[in-house]
Amino acid sequence: MPNGAHRQAQSAQYAGTAPRGKQGSFRDLGHLRRLFPYIRHYRGPLVITIIGFFLIRFFDGTVPLFIKSAVDSITEGEPSLMLPALGIFAVVTCRYLLFVFSRRLMRRISIALSYDLRKRLYRHVQKQGPSFFNKYSTGDIMSRSINDINLVRRLVAFAWVTIMTFVFSVSIALIFMYSLSPSLTLFVIPPLPVVALVAFKMSRTLFPYVREQQIAMGQVTSYVQENLNGIRTIQAMSQEEVEIQRFSTVSTEYADLVFRATRFRAMMNVVMPLMTTALPVIIIGYGGSLVISGEISVGTFTAFFSYLLMLTGPVRMIGMTLSNLTTGAAGTARLFEVLDYEPEIRDQPKANVPASIEGHLQIKGLSYSYPGANRSALENISIDIEAGETIAFLGRVGCGKSTILKSLVRLIDTPEGTVLLDGHDIRDYPLGRLRQDVTLILQDPFLFSDTLRLNVTYDDPSRMDEPIWTATDAASLSASIREFPMQLATIVGERGITLSGGQKQRATLARGLIRKAAVLAMDDCFSSVDTETEEEILAGLKRLRKGKTTLLISHRVSTARHADRIFIIDGGRIVESGSHAELLRKGGYYADLEAIQSNQDQDRQRKAKLLHDLVE
Amino acid sequence: MSDQTYATPVPQSSPPQRDYSAFDADLTGQAFNFQLFARLLRWLRPYRLTVAFSLLFILLAAGLAVMLPVVTGLVVIDNILRPESVSGEEPDFGMTELTYLISDVSGYTPLIAACILYLAMVTAQAGIMYLHRITLASSVLKALRDLRVDLFSTLEDKPSSFYDRVAVGRVMTRVTNDIESLNELLTGFGMLVGEFVPFFVALFLMGAISPSLTLIVLFAIPIAAVATYFFRMAMRDIFRLIRNSVSALNQYLQENLIGIQVVQLSGREGMNEEHYGRLNHDNRRFEFQAINYETLYHSFNESLASIAIGAIIWFGGGQVVQDEITLGAMILFIQLITMMIMPIVGLGEQFNVLYRAMASGERIFQAIDWDERLKEPEHPVELPPRLRGEIELRNVHFGYNKGEPVLKDVSFNIRPGEKLAIVGPTGSGKSTIIRLLARFYDFDDDMIFLDGIDLNQIRSRDLRRRIGVVLQDFHIFSGTVRDNIMLNNPDISPQQAEQAARTVNADGFIRQLADGYDTHLAERGQNLSQGQRQLLAFARVLAADPEILVLDEATASIDTATELVIQDALHKLTEGRSSIIIAHRLQTIQECDRILVLHHGVVREFGTHEELIKKQGIYYTLHELQFQDGAIAAELAGADTEEADSPVEQQADDDDDGTPPSMREPDSF
Ligand SMILES: Nc1ncnc2c1ncn2[C@@H]1O[C@H](COP(=O)(O)OP(=O)(O)OP(=O)(O)O)[C@@H](O)[C@H]1O
Ligand SMILES: Nc1ncnc2c1ncn2[C@@H]1O[C@H](COP(=O)(O)OP(=O)(O)OP(=O)(O)O)[C@@H](O)[C@H]1O
Ligand SMILES: [Mg+2]
Ligand SMILES: [Mg+2]
Repeated sequence: MPNGAHRQAQSAQYAGTAPRGKQGSFRDLGHLRRLFPYIRHYRGPLVITIIGFFLIRFFDGTVPLFIKSAVDSITEGEPSLMLPALGIFAVVTCRYLLFVFSRRLMRRISIALSYDLRKRLYRHVQKQGPSFFNKYSTGDIMSRSINDINLVRRLVAFAWVTIMTFVFSVSIALIFMYSLSPSLTLFVIPPLPVVALVAFKMSRTLFPYVREQQIAMGQVTSYVQENLNGIRTIQAMSQEEVEIQRFSTVSTEYADLVFRATRFRAMMNVVMPLMTTALPVIIIGYGGSLVISGEISVGTFTAFFSYLLMLTGPVRMIGMTLSNLTTGAAGTARLFEVLDYEPEIRDQPKANVPASIEGHLQIKGLSYSYPGANRSALENISIDIEAGETIAFLGRVGCGKSTILKSLVRLIDTPEGTVLLDGHDIRDYPLGRLRQDVTLILQDPFLFSDTLRLNVTYDDPSRMDEPIWTATDAASLSASIREFPMQLATIVGERGITLSGGQKQRATLARGLIRKAAVLAMDDCFSSVDTETEEEILAGLKRLRKGKTTLLISHRVSTARHADRIFIIDGGRIVESGSHAELLRKGGYYADLEAIQSNQDQDRQRKAKLLHDLVE
Repeated sequence: MSDQTYATPVPQSSPPQRDYSAFDADLTGQAFNFQLFARLLRWLRPYRLTVAFSLLFILLAAGLAVMLPVVTGLVVIDNILRPESVSGEEPDFGMTELTYLISDVSGYTPLIAACILYLAMVTAQAGIMYLHRITLASSVLKALRDLRVDLFSTLEDKPSSFYDRVAVGRVMTRVTNDIESLNELLTGFGMLVGEFVPFFVALFLMGAISPSLTLIVLFAIPIAAVATYFFRMAMRDIFRLIRNSVSALNQYLQENLIGIQVVQLSGREGMNEEHYGRLNHDNRRFEFQAINYETLYHSFNESLASIAIGAIIWFGGGQVVQDEITLGAMILFIQLITMMIMPIVGLGEQFNVLYRAMASGERIFQAIDWDERLKEPEHPVELPPRLRGEIELRNVHFGYNKGEPVLKDVSFNIRPGEKLAIVGPTGSGKSTIIRLLARFYDFDDDMIFLDGIDLNQIRSRDLRRRIGVVLQDFHIFSGTVRDNIMLNNPDISPQQAEQAARTVNADGFIRQLADGYDTHLAERGQNLSQGQRQLLAFARVLAADPEILVLDEATASIDTATELVIQDALHKLTEGRSSIIIAHRLQTIQECDRILVLHHGVVREFGTHEELIKKQGIYYTLHELQFQDGAIAAELAGADTEEADSPVEQQADDDDDGTPPSMREPDSF
């Protein structure tokens, strides 16, 4: 539901990479330079197509000569028509073959290029961390991977070819024309550079229009994407009308921008042909007078008209070509804006890390604040977790518990030397291996719209049934699965929508447990699970995780109680720590919590006091 | 939803099981479907005047375009350069007279006059073309905007059963890409009209000058038609394959972006890249196949013009020699050929677009026509301005899928102003009750009553305005914090929003954010903690000030202290309002008047806290588990296996699993 402010923010953010306003600059087309490394890959085929298109234009240039000879033979009263006609047929056949070959090659290059770009984009996006995804929404990235890549593709397939053919057409036509009548040709040349210059200038001006249009498209995509993902919330709140209203605004805005761009393009399409009109007029006027004075033949006059097509055809198209070029440049700019985004988490492993993990975790003076946030999420956290220990974190909403667990698997970028695993900085481990050995189960249960089997064994789909059932047993999910008619083959709907809250959460739990990691971190994994099932899971875990490091976050004392040590976090700091018994003796926050949670029938006064203590 | 079959036969009146596969795979993409096109015209109708003008302009421009070669061929070459050959019979649309008229008026030579005429016509043509383009664009863009919004509104109305089955990515492309290809179609169609007009004018002209030569030119048409036919045959499947692969690419990308953290944590980047690569590869393969045919066909059409020129020289030249036609006429033919062949080539060019657009139109209308709606009453009962808040469920049977009952004979009632708690193991159907109460799914008549009115007699929107549900799987939108609480509802003031935030104790953290209530939240509220997100979702419902409040695990991710504050505030707020609270933490439901225990879709216990404790059933077990220490809990759980389907007895055994005593204090893993 991007609102006005957001949209402005978004536009402003694109403004950073290219000048805005109605006046474009030469730099805009310069974005195309970024494609060179990708195109270079295909330079062999490219050279071939260039030669191909040159030959095609050469063949095109010979056709008017055949027409001229036919016309002249008629005016001279001794018609020879067979030769020119056959000549044209021969030329056309060659041209056809060449054309098929070159055009196909060119378009293959464009398809291959968009394939490369799409692949690159995907790989790049996959490496990104939270700051990237805060900035670019799913809809936005999708819009780039679909629309912008298509623009680039069209650019390579058509715009580029048209420009090449433009140069070839014009030069070949001029050469042939010159050979027929130098003086008439000299008259034809002067308007050409003017036309080219105007075309170029206009297409530069088009750039901002196109870019705005692309941004608006991204907004439409994001809007629909987000709205449909939150459709239940919208329906539950009865806000459909408002949403439709807002979508109508977004769509109108988009339509307006497209209209503005189209209007400008239409203008280009008027100006360009008008400017080329000078040429036929010159040929009619000056050429006609040359025919009357007998300096050139009617055949030459006719041929000039045919050459005129070769000259003005591409010039008329140049408006469209350049607008394709500009659109392509805008698409390129948007693509590389994303591709230039450096992933915050770099995988730069060092060789000296141990081959197997004991599970000894150290956090040393870790402070962290999220990019764009004004407060730090963690402040000077130091924890030493022995291998095999079970640790629980408790604390208020937003105090930083999840951030601590994320720091262990580098979902956030922690400073060097602050998080150590078995004595080595976690940055020294290969990222994939770190996340394999330290398994984090996220707080927000997410499932893919696939079968339960593939969700549970997401990290390694080649697993057999047995480990899957073991994991679902450990997550107390097996009984539920057996009730589904399709068992493990049950498709769970988008984001697990057809499962109950607890089933979803336990499925993500099973997905983590199946990895049997040396360190397991569970971020509030029992919040949607009833106490009885939770106890069952915890009892199972106790067996499974014996001797292995386990970290968990919970709001329930009944869960935390199972841990060897408990840390109370508040405002990003550790405020209490110790075992269940120690903390109870201490009589602080934890003891208060325990009192509230374990005694339902307390009198109101005592609760009020506790509440007061807790809330400060 | 679907026909439900239960052990006890229950009268059912549900719609048939639907086949959603159409939304997953693509349609067969039959050839041109003119009905579709006719439907599309419906959206153009409000702008028909603009469209009419646009067509008028293109006709004018096209007419002028044909006149240009007439000026060069018949006027300049025949009359001015070779006056000796004039037969005076060629239909030149008065161009010759016009030229001489200009020459007479201005005093210039006929040649210069011809130049002036030519220039004037080109200018007029370009200007009219401009008008055509902008009128067409304006009407098409507006019509498609309307279509897009209409499509979007039907999607807003689709019930949950639809979104349970159909992936968002698939529907989404209909609103974005598919509409875009219709844009291409309509704009391209205008262009095609603009090319076919000169085709017919030129044909008329040629026919008048030399019928025999015209026949030769016309010979190109069946050739082009045959080529087009073969092309269409070859491309039929490929287009579908291409669009399928694009759709698959998008869907895969979108899901991976949403679940990116799971992807990264599972180390699936490589594998997913490979999978995406495969989809991408398929796409490339089909595209390659398409261009093979495409280039063959397209280049062939382009060559037709030159072949026709050769033929004209051959045959036309002979006719000139025999004085059947003038040289200018032959040259006119040569120039007109391009104009004749252009629409045929254009048709080929537009063919891709046309084909794709037809399929897109099909997809769009499929979504619009998809008649899956909630049953809305024909004669809705208006709710009283103030609800008493009495809710009754009578023998509710419900299942999402045929043969899989979820709720079995559920009956209970909520008295006006009462707070009801629903507890029960996960998957027992608690949220399902809520979904029915908020009319997310269809169910039979006379099962659920609000203030004595059958829920099916109330319009779903009216109902949802009165019942505020904090959903278990809520959604946070990108936008500001305030927007997320108000949800752009004009009836909610910013003050109310802030008040609601204070009620759920979210005001504190919101004010500490960079821009307070104006802080921009990323998609799905990624830059908040889970608990903070839940607080916002909670505040959002309170801000709407519903008469009946339903909380489905609304405080599951919220710490006890905050929850106590909320409970305190809610206590005052919900005084006299009926509410339903679902929770696993009994802490949460302490304030409730009565408790309903749901187990496998069956009501197992229903009564006050004291009654249920006395009963020593499921609730008692849960209570003991949570409020007493682990040892007793384990004991209780072990003793209570026939009540609970998932026994916890192994916990007792696990105590002597050889864990060193130091690790077992008090009860470690
Ligand atoms: N949209 C759906 N389509 C099909 N089956 C569903 C759907 N939603 C839920 N179910 C199934 O219905 C049953 C009841 O689900 P429900 O969400 O009501 O459980 P719940 O009691 O709320 O559980 P929890 O405490 O885990 O949230 C579950 O077995 C679930 O798999
Ligand atoms: N991606 C992010 N960008 C900016 N700020 C963030 C981001 N994620 C979390 N925060 C902020 O950092 C703080 C700590 O968040 P964290 O998720 O660690 O809390 P938590 O202790 O897990 O809370 P909860 O119990 O609600 O899950 C919160 O104030 C939150 O608003
Ligand atoms: Mg958290
Ligand atoms: Mg639920």
